[in-house]
Amino acid sequence: MPQPVSVTDMDATILGAWMATGLTLFIFSFLYQDNPLFKLAEHLYVGVSVGYTIVKAYDTVIVHLIVKPIVEEGQIALLIPVAIGLLMLTRYVPRAAWMSRYAFAFIVGLGSGLAIPRTISSFVLKQVEDTIRPLLFQAGDGLTFSFNLLNPASSLNAVIILIGVSTVLFYFFFSIEHSGPGKIVARTGIVFLMIAFGAAFGYTVMARMSLLIGRLTDLIEFSDVSYGRPTWWLLMLTIAVLVLLARRVPNRPPDLH
Amino acid sequence: MIFLRRRLPLLITMITGLLFAGQYYVPHPASEWLLTSATKWLQIIGGFALVLGVTSLFHQHAVKIRRQEAGWGYSLVLYAGMLVTIAVGLWAGGKESLDGSMTAFGWIYSYMMVPLQGTMFAILAFFIASAAYRSFRARSREAAVLLIAAVIVMMGRVPLGEYLIPLSGDVSQWILNVLNASVRRAILIGVSLGTIALSLKIIFGVERSYLGGGKE
Amino acid sequence: MTFSERMLKIDRRIIFMVIGLCTLLPLLYPVGLPIKISPEVRNVYEYIESLPERSVFLLSIDFDPASKPELHPQAIALLRHAFRKNLRVVAMTLWVSGTGMADQLMKQVSSEMGREPGRDYVFLGWSPGGSAVIINMGQDLYTAFPSDYEGKPTRGIPVLEGVHSLKDVTYAISLGAGNPGVEAWYVYGKDKYKFELGGGCTGVIAPGLYPLLRSGQINGLIGGLRGAAEYESLIEQKGRAVAGMDAQSATHLAIIVLVAMCNLFYFSLRQQKGRG
Repeated sequence: MPQPVSVTDMDATILGAWMATGLTLFIFSFLYQDNPLFKLAEHLYVGVSVGYTIVKAYDTVIVHLIVKPIVEEGQIALLIPVAIGLLMLTRYVPRAAWMSRYAFAFIVGLGSGLAIPRTISSFVLKQVEDTIRPLLFQAGDGLTFSFNLLNPASSLNAVIILIGVSTVLFYFFFSIEHSGPGKIVARTGIVFLMIAFGAAFGYTVMARMSLLIGRLTDLIEFSDVSYGRPTWWLLMLTIAVLVLLARRVPNRPPDLH
Repeated sequence: MIFLRRRLPLLITMITGLLFAGQYYVPHPASEWLLTSATKWLQIIGGFALVLGVTSLFHQHAVKIRRQEAGWGYSLVLYAGMLVTIAVGLWAGGKESLDGSMTAFGWIYSYMMVPLQGTMFAILAFFIASAAYRSFRARSREAAVLLIAAVIVMMGRVPLGEYLIPLSGDVSQWILNVLNASVRRAILIGVSLGTIALSLKIIFGVERSYLGGGKE
Repeated sequence: MTFSERMLKIDRRIIFMVIGLCTLLPLLYPVGLPIKISPEVRNVYEYIESLPERSVFLLSIDFDPASKPELHPQAIALLRHAFRKNLRVVAMTLWVSGTGMADQLMKQVSSEMGREPGRDYVFLGWSPGGSAVIINMGQDLYTAFPSDYEGKPTRGIPVLEGVHSLKDVTYAISLGAGNPGVEAWYVYGKDKYKFELGGGCTGVIAPGLYPLLRSGQINGLIGGLRGAAEYESLIEQKGRAVAGMDAQSATHLAIIVLVAMCNLFYFSLRQQKGRG
């Protein structure tokens, strides 16, 4: 149920709808051709995003993670990461830039140390285990071998997974010229890869279309009379500006393909 | 001086790397305390890294404005957008909402940043369609396999596809769960081995590019 | 120039218009085709259904406005389900530009479901560091987030009673649009702190998470807008995702037709050249 809003809230929402619609249409105008409206929106996007990040970093890091714990709780040890962080910023002072290496050395060393055992455990051992274990269980059962392709845990699928993993790994790791049985294995790997790329393409299409659906849903919402129909008015304005711009620069045909 | 500028950073990397790789296998309270402290430190340092990342952009656009290069007016818009957002954000105490009401900072976020970023990525929908029309051709047997798999998945993941070809849902599910999973697993194992190798090279000082160039 | 050549070099803005119309028309005139539920989405739903009341449910909203159309409906559906089941909800984000959205999301769904901040849920806000935050939360939640989004100290908030670290979380879901996201939550979180983990993600990264799903490293996966639509159907509260499914169908069909046409013209051109 919508919350009752005060006059100021309502005004802010309507003004917001006009702003959001205008900026959305300015970016969509790029689909016709590159133009100043798009460039304006693009630069505003970068500026606002950077400003937002700086404010959040200040509020979260400086205020809540550094100042409050040090001043209110006396956690003096936190001055060490502050010093390391400040060392990073010496990158901007050419004479002292080498000092930033200490900060990067610490971060990169720590990051690598944290990553090694966790990656081995999570992505190497667990994935190899799950490729082999289903087959061992089948062998243990002795008599059962399920052929149901639609059951992801069936024996047939376990064998297909093993073939897929081994052939793709073979194709990646043995980048020599394949011949004989090696050629068959590598080609099987390529077929598996192509199918996975096809699935990835299908999902990418799905994702991109979803984003468009999201933006168009907002534009439809903002075409409502309660907002003053910003979608219609601003669409007309955007088209008018594009027409005017096209007349001003008649010699520059847009990139059609 | 070479020790301070080059060898000491490499030594720091090696010690921290080995220490925290080993820490994973030592569940002693002291070792756990070390992990808690170090990750807390990383949080704070992460904030500085973020600032470092965005400030290079300031410099780039400041130069453009100072030299009045082509399109410097847009750089001015970028600066204006950034400064207004910072001013409004600090005034709002860095909060998008206070006591259930949206702040001016929240307004900028909801009605400027969200639609701008959202639309910037939404226009990719049009370009992926155009690219598919122009280059998604079955030029070889491999390309044909890719194309068929893509069509099945695109059909099988939407209600209309499942309605027109009921089997497409099950087949795309099988492609994702079995064929795609096996390839992704191989890639995951391969990439992980690469990550481990790179981490070891960093720890033992073979890979040093993260230290940057400049004087020794 | 032959017909096939002309068709292959068609102005791309015609294709843009086709895609635009295929998205717009179904949004204006929806048909409402039934949505089949996939096992990976059902697994997430059933796991939440099986949780006892007041279990701790952690939702990490790891996306920014670029992925809002896909992941925002997932978050709304999951929160509605969690609040309906009377779970204790702990929300947070690892993506700085997702903070405002996550805050708005929590306020919107909690007020809709009549849940109170502090008692039924807490929004911890954002913290930099990515994977380091996950590890730190696994060690001590109050070190990672000494205060919540509003700036109140997290220690003593009733909803966090008995929760010291990730080990005390019953179920965690990361709605990830990249890194840090679902994978990071497994590698730096579940691997050591042993809570149950589910995933939600954008369509682009969903295929890459199937190996983790097969191995049981994540117990379910909600992929893209389609996954959100399935979840909305499961909780019987249809929202933006279900509303977008007709448009999704139409655009997929349009792309398939475009690809078929492109191949038709390509082969006819090749045949003509072969004859010539």
